[in-house]
Amino acid sequence: MFDTILFIFAALAAIVGGILTISVKNLMHACVFLLLTLLGVAGLYLTLGADFVGVIQLVVYVGGVVVLMVFAVMLTSGSNAQKVNRFGMVKIPTMGNFRTYTLAGIFAALILMSIIKLYRNVFSMARLEKLPEYYPTVSKIGHSLVSTHVLAFEISSVLLLGALVGAAIISRPKREMR
Amino acid sequence: MGFYSYLVVSTILFVLGIVAVLARKNIIAILLGLELILNASALNFVTYTRFVNNNIDGHIFALFIIIVAAAEAAVGLAIVLRFFQIRETIHVDDATQLQG
Repeated sequence: MFDTILFIFAALAAIVGGILTISVKNLMHACVFLLLTLLGVAGLYLTLGADFVGVIQLVVYVGGVVVLMVFAVMLTSGSNAQKVNRFGMVKIPTMGNFRTYTLAGIFAALILMSIIKLYRNVFSMARLEKLPEYYPTVSKIGHSLVSTHVLAFEISSVLLLGALVGAAIISRPKREMR
Repeated sequence: MGFYSYLVVSTILFVLGIVAVLARKNIIAILLGLELILNASALNFVTYTRFVNNNIDGHIFALFIIIVAAAEAAVGLAIVLRFFQIRETIHVDDATQLQG
Protein backbone atom coordinates (compact mmCIF):
# COMPACT_ATOMS: atom_id res chain seq x y z
CA MET A 1 0.00 0.00 0.00
CA PHE A 2 2.74 2.42 0.98
CA ASP A 3 4.74 1.33 -2.05
CA THR A 4 1.77 2.04 -4.27
CA ILE A 5 1.30 5.54 -2.89
CA LEU A 6 5.03 6.26 -3.23
CA PHE A 7 5.02 4.93 -6.78
CA ILE A 8 2.06 7.09 -7.75
CA PHE A 9 3.64 10.24 -6.37
CA ALA A 10 7.03 9.54 -7.96
CA ALA A 11 5.56 8.64 -11.33
CA LEU A 12 3.37 11.72 -11.33
CA ALA A 13 6.39 13.90 -10.47
CA ALA A 14 8.45 12.30 -13.23
CA ILE A 15 5.81 12.53 -15.96
CA VAL A 16 4.48 15.99 -15.11
CA GLY A 17 8.04 17.31 -14.82
CA GLY A 18 8.94 15.79 -18.17
CA ILE A 19 5.91 17.26 -19.92
CA LEU A 20 6.59 20.70 -18.47
CA THR A 21 10.29 20.40 -19.32
CA ILE A 22 9.56 20.05 -22.99
CA SER A 23 6.71 22.55 -23.13
CA VAL A 24 7.60 25.49 -20.92
CA LYS A 25 8.99 28.61 -22.55
CA ASN A 26 11.50 29.84 -19.98
CA LEU A 27 14.66 27.76 -19.91
CA MET A 28 15.27 28.31 -16.22
CA HIS A 29 11.82 26.95 -15.48
CA ALA A 30 12.61 24.01 -17.75
CA CYS A 31 15.68 23.27 -15.60
CA VAL A 32 13.56 23.36 -12.45
CA PHE A 33 11.02 20.98 -13.98
CA LEU A 34 13.86 18.69 -15.04
CA LEU A 35 14.82 18.73 -11.36
CA LEU A 36 11.27 17.56 -10.54
CA THR A 37 11.62 14.75 -13.06
CA LEU A 38 14.95 13.62 -11.60
CA LEU A 39 13.49 13.60 -8.10
CA GLY A 40 10.61 11.49 -9.37
CA VAL A 41 12.98 9.02 -11.01
CA ALA A 42 14.97 8.81 -7.76
CA GLY A 43 11.72 7.97 -5.96
CA LEU A 44 11.02 5.26 -8.52
CA TYR A 45 14.48 3.79 -7.86
CA LEU A 46 13.70 3.72 -4.17
CA THR A 47 10.41 1.90 -4.76
CA LEU A 48 12.33 -0.63 -6.84
CA GLY A 49 14.63 -1.38 -3.91
CA ALA A 50 17.65 0.28 -5.51
CA ASP A 51 18.70 2.45 -2.59
CA PHE A 52 22.28 3.11 -3.70
CA VAL A 53 21.29 4.04 -7.25
CA GLY A 54 18.57 6.35 -5.93
CA VAL A 55 20.96 8.19 -3.64
CA ILE A 56 23.58 8.47 -6.39
CA GLN A 57 20.88 9.84 -8.66
CA LEU A 58 20.11 12.50 -6.08
CA VAL A 59 23.77 13.40 -5.50
CA VAL A 60 24.98 13.42 -9.09
CA TYR A 61 21.95 14.72 -10.98
CA VAL A 62 20.21 16.98 -8.53
CA GLY A 63 23.45 18.24 -7.01
CA GLY A 64 25.64 18.37 -10.09
CA VAL A 65 24.08 18.19 -13.52
CA VAL A 66 21.13 20.51 -12.90
CA VAL A 67 23.46 23.07 -11.31
CA LEU A 68 25.62 22.89 -14.45
CA MET A 69 22.53 23.37 -16.60
CA VAL A 70 21.42 26.39 -14.58
CA PHE A 71 24.91 27.88 -14.86
CA ALA A 72 24.88 27.39 -18.62
CA VAL A 73 21.45 28.99 -18.93
CA MET A 74 22.54 31.98 -16.87
CA LEU A 75 25.79 32.41 -18.80
CA THR A 76 24.16 32.24 -22.20
CA SER A 77 21.09 34.43 -21.72
CA GLY A 78 22.79 37.67 -20.93
CA SER A 79 22.38 41.25 -22.01
CA ASN A 80 22.32 40.49 -25.70
CA ALA A 81 19.33 38.22 -25.55
CA GLN A 82 16.70 38.21 -28.29
CA LYS A 83 18.88 39.60 -31.03
CA VAL A 84 18.64 38.14 -34.47
CA ASN A 85 21.45 37.07 -36.74
CA ARG A 86 21.82 37.90 -40.40
CA PHE A 87 19.35 35.23 -41.45
CA GLY A 88 16.66 36.62 -39.17
CA MET A 89 16.88 33.85 -36.60
CA VAL A 90 16.58 34.69 -32.92
CA LYS A 91 19.95 34.02 -31.32
CA ILE A 92 18.63 32.82 -27.98
CA PRO A 93 15.63 30.73 -28.96
CA THR A 94 13.21 29.46 -26.38
CA MET A 95 10.82 27.19 -28.23
CA GLY A 96 10.72 25.44 -31.54
CA ASN A 97 8.12 26.36 -34.09
CA PHE A 98 5.07 24.51 -35.31
CA ARG A 99 6.95 22.48 -37.91
CA THR A 100 9.47 21.09 -35.47
CA TYR A 101 6.76 20.12 -33.00
CA THR A 102 4.79 18.39 -35.76
CA LEU A 103 7.88 16.46 -36.84
CA ALA A 104 8.67 15.55 -33.24
CA GLY A 105 5.11 14.36 -32.71
CA ILE A 106 5.31 12.10 -35.76
CA PHE A 107 8.63 10.66 -34.62
CA ALA A 108 7.33 10.21 -31.09
CA ALA A 109 4.34 8.23 -32.37
CA LEU A 110 6.67 6.10 -34.51
CA ILE A 111 9.04 5.36 -31.65
CA LEU A 112 6.14 4.69 -29.29
CA MET A 113 4.66 2.13 -31.67
CA SER A 114 7.99 0.37 -32.16
CA ILE A 115 8.61 0.28 -28.39
CA ILE A 116 5.16 -1.22 -27.80
CA LYS A 117 5.88 -3.84 -30.44
CA LEU A 118 9.13 -4.68 -28.62
CA TYR A 119 7.43 -4.80 -25.24
CA ARG A 120 4.89 -7.40 -26.29
CA ASN A 121 7.63 -10.02 -26.30
CA VAL A 122 9.20 -8.65 -23.15
CA PHE A 123 6.07 -8.86 -21.03
CA SER A 124 6.24 -12.63 -20.90
CA MET A 125 9.66 -12.41 -19.18
CA ALA A 126 8.37 -10.78 -16.03
CA ARG A 127 8.28 -12.70 -12.81
CA LEU A 128 4.70 -12.19 -11.83
CA GLU A 129 4.61 -14.36 -8.74
CA LYS A 130 5.65 -13.07 -5.34
CA LEU A 131 8.52 -10.64 -5.47
CA PRO A 132 11.55 -11.05 -3.23
CA GLU A 133 11.95 -8.79 -0.26
CA TYR A 134 14.04 -5.66 -0.31
CA TYR A 135 17.60 -6.01 0.84
CA PRO A 136 20.37 -3.42 1.18
CA THR A 137 22.38 -3.25 -2.01
CA VAL A 138 25.34 -1.10 -1.00
CA SER A 139 27.69 -3.87 0.12
CA LYS A 140 26.82 -6.05 -2.86
CA ILE A 141 27.44 -3.18 -5.27
CA GLY A 142 30.74 -2.42 -3.56
CA HIS A 143 31.93 -6.02 -3.80
CA SER A 144 30.77 -6.23 -7.39
CA LEU A 145 32.52 -3.02 -8.41
CA VAL A 146 35.90 -4.24 -7.22
CA SER A 147 35.60 -7.86 -8.32
CA THR A 148 33.41 -8.52 -11.34
CA HIS A 149 33.08 -5.08 -12.85
CA VAL A 150 36.52 -3.75 -11.95
CA LEU A 151 37.53 -3.04 -15.57
CA ALA A 152 34.47 -0.88 -16.20
CA PHE A 153 35.08 0.87 -12.88
CA GLU A 154 38.65 1.83 -13.82
CA ILE A 155 37.64 2.86 -17.34
CA SER A 156 34.94 5.09 -15.89
CA SER A 157 37.56 6.81 -13.73
CA VAL A 158 39.65 7.49 -16.83
CA LEU A 159 36.51 8.74 -18.59
CA LEU A 160 35.75 11.17 -15.77
CA LEU A 161 39.33 12.46 -15.78
CA GLY A 162 39.17 12.94 -19.54
CA ALA A 163 35.83 14.75 -19.27
CA LEU A 164 37.21 17.04 -16.55
CA VAL A 165 40.34 17.96 -18.51
CA GLY A 166 38.40 18.26 -21.75
CA ALA A 167 35.78 20.56 -20.26
CA ALA A 168 38.48 22.74 -18.72
CA ILE A 169 40.38 22.99 -22.00
CA ILE A 170 37.33 23.64 -24.16
CA SER A 171 35.86 26.35 -21.99
CA ARG A 172 39.02 28.29 -21.21
CA PRO A 173 38.81 32.03 -21.92
CA LYS A 174 39.68 33.38 -25.31
CA ARG A 175 43.26 34.46 -25.80
CA GLU A 176 43.67 37.83 -27.49
CA MET A 177 47.19 37.52 -28.91
CA ARG A 178 48.88 34.39 -30.07
CA MET B 1 3.21 -1.76 -8.34
CA GLY B 2 3.88 -4.06 -11.21
CA PHE B 3 6.34 -4.41 -13.99
CA TYR B 4 4.19 -2.73 -16.62
CA SER B 5 3.69 0.54 -14.78
CA TYR B 6 7.43 1.13 -14.49
CA LEU B 7 7.85 0.36 -18.18
CA VAL B 8 5.04 2.78 -19.04
CA VAL B 9 6.72 5.54 -17.02
CA SER B 10 10.09 4.97 -18.65
CA THR B 11 8.54 4.84 -22.11
CA ILE B 12 6.78 8.15 -21.51
CA LEU B 13 10.03 9.73 -20.31
CA PHE B 14 11.90 8.40 -23.35
CA VAL B 15 9.32 9.75 -25.80
CA LEU B 16 9.29 13.13 -24.05
CA GLY B 17 13.07 13.26 -24.37
CA ILE B 18 12.85 12.44 -28.08
CA VAL B 19 10.30 15.24 -28.52
CA ALA B 20 12.59 17.69 -26.70
CA VAL B 21 15.60 16.75 -28.83
CA LEU B 22 13.67 17.06 -32.08
CA ALA B 23 11.45 20.06 -31.39
CA ARG B 24 13.51 22.48 -29.39
CA LYS B 25 15.82 24.99 -31.07
CA ASN B 26 17.95 25.81 -28.05
CA ILE B 27 21.05 23.68 -27.54
CA ILE B 28 20.68 23.63 -23.76
CA ALA B 29 17.08 22.46 -24.09
CA ILE B 30 18.32 19.64 -26.33
CA LEU B 31 20.76 18.64 -23.59
CA LEU B 32 17.84 18.61 -21.13
CA GLY B 33 16.06 16.19 -23.47
CA LEU B 34 19.16 13.99 -23.54
CA GLU B 35 19.10 13.81 -19.75
CA LEU B 36 15.48 12.64 -19.93
CA ILE B 37 16.42 9.87 -22.38
CA LEU B 38 19.32 8.66 -20.24
CA ASN B 39 17.12 8.62 -17.14
CA ALA B 40 14.50 6.56 -18.95
CA SER B 41 17.08 3.96 -19.99
CA ALA B 42 18.56 3.71 -16.49
CA LEU B 43 15.07 3.28 -15.04
CA ASN B 44 14.49 0.45 -17.50
CA PHE B 45 17.66 -1.31 -16.36
CA VAL B 46 16.72 -1.11 -12.69
CA THR B 47 13.16 -2.28 -13.47
CA TYR B 48 14.37 -5.34 -15.33
CA THR B 49 16.83 -6.28 -12.66
CA ARG B 50 14.08 -6.15 -10.05
CA PHE B 51 11.41 -8.03 -11.93
CA VAL B 52 13.30 -10.47 -14.14
CA ASN B 53 16.51 -11.78 -12.60
CA ASN B 54 16.83 -9.97 -9.28
CA ASN B 55 20.57 -9.54 -9.09
CA ILE B 56 22.43 -6.21 -9.04
CA ASP B 57 23.82 -6.06 -12.57
CA GLY B 58 21.11 -3.59 -13.53
CA HIS B 59 22.10 -1.37 -10.62
CA ILE B 60 25.72 -1.41 -11.82
CA PHE B 61 24.58 -0.53 -15.32
CA ALA B 62 22.43 2.33 -14.03
CA LEU B 63 25.41 3.66 -12.09
CA PHE B 64 27.58 3.67 -15.20
CA ILE B 65 24.79 5.39 -17.15
CA ILE B 66 24.74 8.12 -14.49
CA ILE B 67 28.55 8.48 -14.72
CA VAL B 68 28.47 8.77 -18.51
CA ALA B 69 25.60 11.27 -18.31
CA ALA B 70 27.56 13.46 -15.91
CA ALA B 71 30.63 13.43 -18.17
CA GLU B 72 28.45 14.15 -21.21
CA ALA B 73 26.76 17.08 -19.48
CA ALA B 74 30.09 18.62 -18.44
CA VAL B 75 31.68 18.38 -21.88
CA GLY B 76 28.49 19.33 -23.73
CA LEU B 77 27.93 22.43 -21.65
CA ALA B 78 31.58 23.41 -22.05
CA ILE B 79 31.16 23.15 -25.82
CA VAL B 80 27.95 25.20 -25.64
CA LEU B 81 29.66 27.94 -23.61
CA ARG B 82 32.61 28.05 -26.00
CA PHE B 83 30.23 28.24 -28.96
CA PHE B 84 28.39 31.07 -27.27
CA GLN B 85 31.66 32.95 -26.68
CA ILE B 86 32.59 32.70 -30.34
CA ARG B 87 29.29 33.14 -32.16
CA GLU B 88 27.09 34.73 -29.46
CA THR B 89 24.21 32.41 -30.25
CA ILE B 90 22.86 29.11 -29.00
CA HIS B 91 20.43 28.52 -31.84
CA VAL B 92 21.07 25.02 -33.10
CA ASP B 93 20.76 26.08 -36.73
CA ASP B 94 23.67 28.50 -36.30
CA ALA B 95 26.12 25.70 -35.58
CA THR B 96 27.09 25.17 -39.18
CA GLN B 97 30.88 25.55 -39.12
CA LEU B 98 33.51 23.41 -37.53
CA GLN B 99 36.03 26.23 -37.39
CA GLY B 100 35.01 29.56 -35.93
